[in-house]
Amino acid sequence: MRSKLFLGATAAFAVLAAGSVILPDWAMFLCAMALAKGLVCLGIVGMMRGGVVSFGQGLYYCIGAYTATLVANSFGVSDIFLLTLLSALACLLVGMAFGPLLSSYRGIFFAMLSLALSMVLYGSLSKMSVIGGTDGLNIAAPTFLGWAPEGRPLQTALYIYVVAIVVIAGTLMRIYFDSEQGLITLATRDNELRVEYLGASVRNIMTYNYVFGAVLGGIGGTIAALALGHVDPEFAFWTTSGEFVFVAILAGYLSVPAVFVAAIILELVRSFSNLYFPNTWQLALGIFLLVVIVLLPNGLGSLVGRRKGNAA
Amino acid sequence: MTLKLENVQVSIQAAPILRGVSLDVGAGERMGLIGRNGAGKTTVMRTITGLAKMAAGTVKWDGEDISNMQPRLRARLGFGYMPEDRRLVPDLTVEENMLLPAWANDEIDGRKGLEFVYDLMPELANMAPRKALLLSGGQQKMAALGRALIAGRKLLLLDEPFEGVAPALARRISDVITSLKGEGLSVLIAQSELSHSSDLLQRECVIERGEIIRVNVIDPVLAGKA
Repeated sequence: MRSKLFLGATAAFAVLAAGSVILPDWAMFLCAMALAKGLVCLGIVGMMRGGVVSFGQGLYYCIGAYTATLVANSFGVSDIFLLTLLSALACLLVGMAFGPLLSSYRGIFFAMLSLALSMVLYGSLSKMSVIGGTDGLNIAAPTFLGWAPEGRPLQTALYIYVVAIVVIAGTLMRIYFDSEQGLITLATRDNELRVEYLGASVRNIMTYNYVFGAVLGGIGGTIAALALGHVDPEFAFWTTSGEFVFVAILAGYLSVPAVFVAAIILELVRSFSNLYFPNTWQLALGIFLLVVIVLLPNGLGSLVGRRKGNAA
Repeated sequence: MTLKLENVQVSIQAAPILRGVSLDVGAGERMGLIGRNGAGKTTVMRTITGLAKMAAGTVKWDGEDISNMQPRLRARLGFGYMPEDRRLVPDLTVEENMLLPAWANDEIDGRKGLEFVYDLMPELANMAPRKALLLSGGQQKMAALGRALIAGRKLLLLDEPFEGVAPALARRISDVITSLKGEGLSVLIAQSELSHSSDLLQRECVIERGEIIRVNVIDPVLAGKA
């Protein structure tokens, strides 16, 4: 089972990495951004498996992006590995601070409280002119263990880096989802009381899932900031968080690859509808989401899940 | 190890459900809780597991007051609960469902628990890889009983185990519970009528409108002592 997973992960890496050779610049950028956002969405999917949805993952996306930018601008750190590590650490600490509080809430209360936290960050950053206010900050191109590529090689290196992170994070999350703790999370989604009378702490499970989501959000934010070369408070705005929830719903909670496929599909639909219907692209996007939700209420992942269910 | 409920009162939205219930289940004893629908049987079960909040009274396990103990900590005392609606996780396999208590509680050896359950109910071994959502109602009852047996090393709480299952399966479940005689496990079975369990219980408490109105000794050996 595990070897099948690693084989699949290696194949996914090979296929995605091949994109760096085939894809034009614009498509590679689009995919890198989509995969970075997919990481944030994977965190939401982890929470969805426990029956809650965070409407405020922009909080960690933004903290990750700002941590990387501030560290890079203040201390001259440009190494992408170090920046990612520090951002993940910052999000881990913030997630550990808010996780126990949020884990007491369910349903709309959990969603709204997480949204409120991200909007507090958005409001605070918008007022802080010392770190750019609403204009945000620029961040220089990253280096890779001392190597400082430019132009196409930079974009390629960044893309390969995102792909590697996505494959590693995706594999680890799959292992977690299939672990005892991960399956108890699934039982929690179905019925919390049952999990309690079987001896597990639902609150602890929710906290772990929230913290994992925070770390993934931070990593996604760091990569997005480095790909864009710029961060601003919009990273924490509710529409950004809403977009992550859209992707998570589109993907469903059953499959990890579906999350990244959904993220790429959403980026493509948005880009092309923006290109061909510049004044009504939101309408096209809305119709697309409506069709997917009606036809696949459990998300794209249910296509794979359904096959497995039939085989069982 | 003895379970003791003393003057337990439970209200749900100001409506009294249990009005001073007192009962005790001795070590290794098989006790029935008999009453009509709405008499308060499930609430007694939920009170013992900690899922229902008490307005008054105490629940004692082995002399220790566990009235304020959280459900998950009571589970760690060795309480296994099979609710009336089974509550299996549809996305998990039968074996995964039965292993849930072991995953939630480090003190339970899941492998050993499975061996014990498969010895008692070999039919469950055949269904082990099947997803719970693909099982019939009766098969789900068996799987839920298996899960409760893995969790319940000291006390087994079975809520309507024979409800809605075919007579042959009800007899099979009854046989399984009877075969636990030598395990030293205390068993409390809630049900509406005695038809499937008259030969496996030692005593029965009759509950009506949230009150225990009578305790009957069924087992001839115990009756002799009484």
